[in-house]
Amino acid sequence: MGEEILMDIKKDYVLSRLREKERIDGRKLDEVRPIEIETNLISKAEGSALVKLGDTQVMVGIKIQPGEPFPDVPDKGIIITNAELVPLASPTFEAGPPDETSIELARIVDRGIRESEAVDLTKLCIEEGEKVWIIFIDIHALDDDGNLMDASALAAISALLNTTVPAERFELGDDFPLPVRDLPVSVTSLIVDDLFLVDPTRDEMSLGNRLLTITTDKDDNIVAMQKSGSYLLKEEKFYELIDVSVQKAREVRQILKEI
Amino acid sequence: MSEFKSSEEIKLIVDGKRIDGRDFNELRKIKIEAGVLKRADGSCYLEMGRNRVVAAVYGPREVHPRHLQDPSNAVIRYRYNMAPFSVEERKRPGPDRRSVEISKVSREAYEPVIMKELFPRSGIDIFVEVLQADAGTRTACINAATVALVDAGIPMKGLITSVAIAKVDGVLVVDPVKEEDNYGEADIPFAFLIRNGRIESIALLQMDGRVTVEELKKATKMAKEAVLKIYELQREAIMKKYRTEDIEE
Amino acid sequence: MISNSRRIVLPGDLLSTNPRTAGYGTFVENGKVYAKILGLMDKSETMVKVIPLKGRYIPSPGDVVIGVIREVVSNGWNVDINSPYSAFLSLTEVEIKGRKPNDSLDLDDSIIAKVIGIDPKMKVSLTMKDKVCRPIRFGRIVAINPTRVPRVIGKKGSMIKLLKGELGIQIIVGQNGLIWLSGDRKRVDIAEEAIYIIEREAHTEGLTDRITEFIKSRKEGKENE
Repeated sequence: MGEEILMDIKKDYVLSRLREKERIDGRKLDEVRPIEIETNLISKAEGSALVKLGDTQVMVGIKIQPGEPFPDVPDKGIIITNAELVPLASPTFEAGPPDETSIELARIVDRGIRESEAVDLTKLCIEEGEKVWIIFIDIHALDDDGNLMDASALAAISALLNTTVPAERFELGDDFPLPVRDLPVSVTSLIVDDLFLVDPTRDEMSLGNRLLTITTDKDDNIVAMQKSGSYLLKEEKFYELIDVSVQKAREVRQILKEI
Repeated sequence: MSEFKSSEEIKLIVDGKRIDGRDFNELRKIKIEAGVLKRADGSCYLEMGRNRVVAAVYGPREVHPRHLQDPSNAVIRYRYNMAPFSVEERKRPGPDRRSVEISKVSREAYEPVIMKELFPRSGIDIFVEVLQADAGTRTACINAATVALVDAGIPMKGLITSVAIAKVDGVLVVDPVKEEDNYGEADIPFAFLIRNGRIESIALLQMDGRVTVEELKKATKMAKEAVLKIYELQREAIMKKYRTEDIEE
Repeated sequence: MISNSRRIVLPGDLLSTNPRTAGYGTFVENGKVYAKILGLMDKSETMVKVIPLKGRYIPSPGDVVIGVIREVVSNGWNVDINSPYSAFLSLTEVEIKGRKPNDSLDLDDSIIAKVIGIDPKMKVSLTMKDKVCRPIRFGRIVAINPTRVPRVIGKKGSMIKLLKGELGIQIIVGQNGLIWLSGDRKRVDIAEEAIYIIEREAHTEGLTDRITEFIKSRKEGKENE
């Protein structure tokens, strides 16, 4: 039931608590909300996951089918990532083709998976130059209580970890588990004056949408980064954020290892 | 992408049982949960066999742009949408012609039942997302949308409950699965207005295929019997959520 | 036989066969009274009504509401009062006398106002010419389901008196589910928690006692910090 008026009303309160370095839900500035991950809920999909990050909920479904490779990379499989911020998830989402926010979200999630080489695309070649496996990662937002970005990225990798390539259906051999060899995790923070709030909620977003997302792989390398929102970021703050993001990503990665 | 090349190759009814072992008038397993989303005014998650759908209701709320407002009534909008991963062959996101039609007839089921004259110049939005599909998604969506509307506190004349009847191998069956829907001779989705446990009227009616008049009447009776069972489950889902409020002595 | 039972009812449930007793939340058809919303049936000899458990706020004349200024126009302000209907506060309805000269209203300001009425075009008109009305410059605003507001106020104001008395803070309750709290930070924290409990358990027995207990134990706890 959160409409825009509630955002405005929360703004002053969120700020006043921040002055004492507190968040209105009691979290520390760098604390991530409780995470719940459920996988394999959609049997029609080759892989699926539902992530709850606090009250934010995102579902990702993986669909795989054979297709033509890109001409310049004839021996590699293809990953296509799309995000639907459907109106069901928030009073502010409208039906229609993806807007810049959904496009940005999909591309950042995609980058994290692609640049970490989480999926070895060379193992997805069926016939060089002719046929490769195409992996569709479809992000479906269900409830937006802030930070759909990290929830989506987490759901995407969780789904991939439980994905089976449906070779039998296409008479291309036996089914096999999708080979996943890295665990990219994104950490998004909201920047408010001199502070940053890791994993912002919708209420906290009433203070603005100055965000920084940093995605790391299992070796703490940075594989994706995005400054989102109209603001200027100071260098020292940036370095602080990198450290915090790497550390938080490690914590979240532990949860991934257990699913 | 079915394994069967033609309907001659599969028997949909064997020894009086259906392809999934059910009796002719048996419903698939149904699970309903009310109030599952934080942002929506009312919501519902529903499983019907392998269908998985989630419905959200927003409203009454402001309608923009102003020229879409109705000075005497709330404007009802219903959007049926399938997630790309919900079906065997990935579906491109966005509405296709089938979704547009389903949205229309579903909306038309609710318009006479929601007391829209109580909220002139506003809008009531019903969104339903199909997360996994296995025939009968429009009926599953309506069953979920009804619970979401109740959960949102929207005034209505009663509940809308839905089920489809199919004809397979010459036999009428309740709540078809995908194979029965694809290879059967007819598919008839129904929705009824139910008040106080009694069926009042038909709110949605469509048909695809060919049946005799007798078969159609029989199908209607079968549908009525089936929806009453679903109606009880819809009620239970709401009761379960609001149970702490009940202080029945 | 049951004269005062309260059970959960859904739209379309039959409540009574006496159409003359039809009250809030019901509709009459063919001489029978049915529920039209989800709620608790409240049935007596003379009336049957449904106490709503959910629903957006629809303004009524005389309601105190808390809103946010959305637009400054030449003759007043458009105000968001968390309702499907937007509200308008005319310049002529804001008392200048007795207020500080630079106490004017700006975009995104929160205010406590009163509903004068709704016109046929569903435009709500507000006034601030009442002693309870004021711009909100400090304190905290809490949002609850508007259908729970009567319970926060309580019979003859009993619950709100309890909160104010035990915590020594200012509380103004908007009918639209927004509540303004002002006072010592820790006391306001307790009040906010208490309000969420009331919202959750609005229709259960013994709530007033439980809230009293809760406040007392929280006060002791906080004093030991």
